[in-house]
Amino acid sequence: MICIDNSEWMRNGDYPSNRLEAQSDACKFICCAKTQSNPKNAVGILTMAGKGVRVLVTPTSRLRKMLAFMDGLNIGGEVNLAAGFQVAQLALKHRQNQKQQQRIILFAGSPVKQDKEVLEMIGRKLKKHNVDLDVVSFGEEDEGKAEKLEALVAAVNNSDNSRIIHIPPGARDLSDVLFSSPLFAGNGFAEAITAATVAAKAWPDYDFGVDFNLDPDLALALRASMEEEKARQEATAKKAAEEAAKHEKGEAQSTSQYVIMTENFSARRSKTENKAADQMDDNDLLQQPIAMSMDVSSSSIATRDMEADFEALELSVQDRCDRMLADQSFVSSFLAKLTRLPGVDPNNTTVKDYLASMRGQPEQKGENKEQQEDKKL
Amino acid sequence: MSAESASAIPKGQVDLLDFVDWSGVECLNQSGSHTIFNALKQGYREDEGLNLVSDADEQLLIYIPFNQVIKLHSIVIKGPEEEGPKTVKLFSNKEHMGFSNVNDYPPSDTVVLSEDNLKGKPVILKYVKFQNVRSVTIFIEDNQLDGETTKVEKIVLYGTTVETTDMKGLKKIEDH
Repeated sequence: MICIDNSEWMRNGDYPSNRLEAQSDACKFICCAKTQSNPKNAVGILTMAGKGVRVLVTPTSRLRKMLAFMDGLNIGGEVNLAAGFQVAQLALKHRQNQKQQQRIILFAGSPVKQDKEVLEMIGRKLKKHNVDLDVVSFGEEDEGKAEKLEALVAAVNNSDNSRIIHIPPGARDLSDVLFSSPLFAGNGFAEAITAATVAAKAWPDYDFGVDFNLDPDLALALRASMEEEKARQEATAKKAAEEAAKHEKGEAQSTSQYVIMTENFSARRSKTENKAADQMDDNDLLQQPIAMSMDVSSSSIATRDMEADFEALELSVQDRCDRMLADQSFVSSFLAKLTRLPGVDPNNTTVKDYLASMRGQPEQKGENKEQQEDKKL
Repeated sequence: MSAESASAIPKGQVDLLDFVDWSGVECLNQSGSHTIFNALKQGYREDEGLNLVSDADEQLLIYIPFNQVIKLHSIVIKGPEEEGPKTVKLFSNKEHMGFSNVNDYPPSDTVVLSEDNLKGKPVILKYVKFQNVRSVTIFIEDNQLDGETTKVEKIVLYGTTVETTDMKGLKKIEDH
């Protein structure tokens, strides 16, 4: 049974279009998910504000019927939670299939006027009647509303079958947030939704200008290549960090630019350690990423083994760095990339000095000077 | 009455445990970790450490269907002295009852449990009211000390089966 909040508070536009529209969309989404997860599932809908609590649809398994009543909801009055729960419970009691588990999904967007004690009493009553409760808390957030609703859910909760989610006002849809919430995770609804929808909903940042719903294969391919590229970039970045550190060691240059760079790369793993990075000497700087990768990859190995491994790893990394430096084409391509990185200013004097010194190396060795110059510019 | 004779099976009656339809057994307001099966199932119910405990308040509603028609003669409800049930109402053949409609029907029998009863003395029910029973609903209304939780250690139903055919026991005869 879904309890919709259609009070005057729902005119607020802090969710896309307005709160009522957002709610109605989320509601449709829940109806679809429930009916798809099991065709026997029945969903009913009621509104809690207006002239009184009104049951729009008694529990039914016909999706069309549910959706038909969802449009044309009227806004008005204030929410009456207690009456809403009573009516919902009555509607659930007279469900057709008595074997079904009863559940109320409450949308609470307006302030909660009832005392905490009253809500807890309602909660205990629901629990006694074996009714589960999910609360979607959004919109108004004053007068300890969150606390009250938490108390309500805590009173109903029996072996983790009742949940609450708070959705702060923001750019994203209610249904988007609901989808990734435990409300859907627990009951296998997620599998009911196709992979295409998952791709579209869960990664809204990747906008390729393509509708994933129309072509799930394309969506999958795009995502795979996206992630491959990301992994590749990360690997390059890591190498770059190591190399930069290595170079500093040899040339004893001004370190500030590279410290910042290294910090950027390792910030993903640990922010606290990096605060000390400025004071560390170059050798430590080199060891830091290695130590981190050690932590990730071999946390289960005993400490003694780890030390031995550490030395071996350090040697191998140094070896690889030497080899990479010997490979002129790699160094040049790396430098070209370096100047394109967002945080790096190619006109910075430090970078220029460094590039110049790099240019000096191939000159000494007398190899491919012309090509190097071309690539760098 | 000594303990042995108190827990003895009434003459001519059998334990109805074998005829319970386990898939249909329900209990409202039971605590998640102390379920009805602790009080009803063979082996579990003999263990005094395993109880049926109420959750939100002291009331319990137990629905026990049978896989054939029975006659119910008497009932044993064992519980601790303080948190044991007191007023127990029994309904025959009432399906899908909730706490909200327990007062809608007159109970087939109402029992107030004494201390002796809680130690295992069978309560003789109004035999004429339980002649054609397919399911029995036990509503535990309150407990001895009017506390918030009720504990039940053991529930045993005694009675006889009516001479009917158990349809579930029928097997399809294969053609040769």
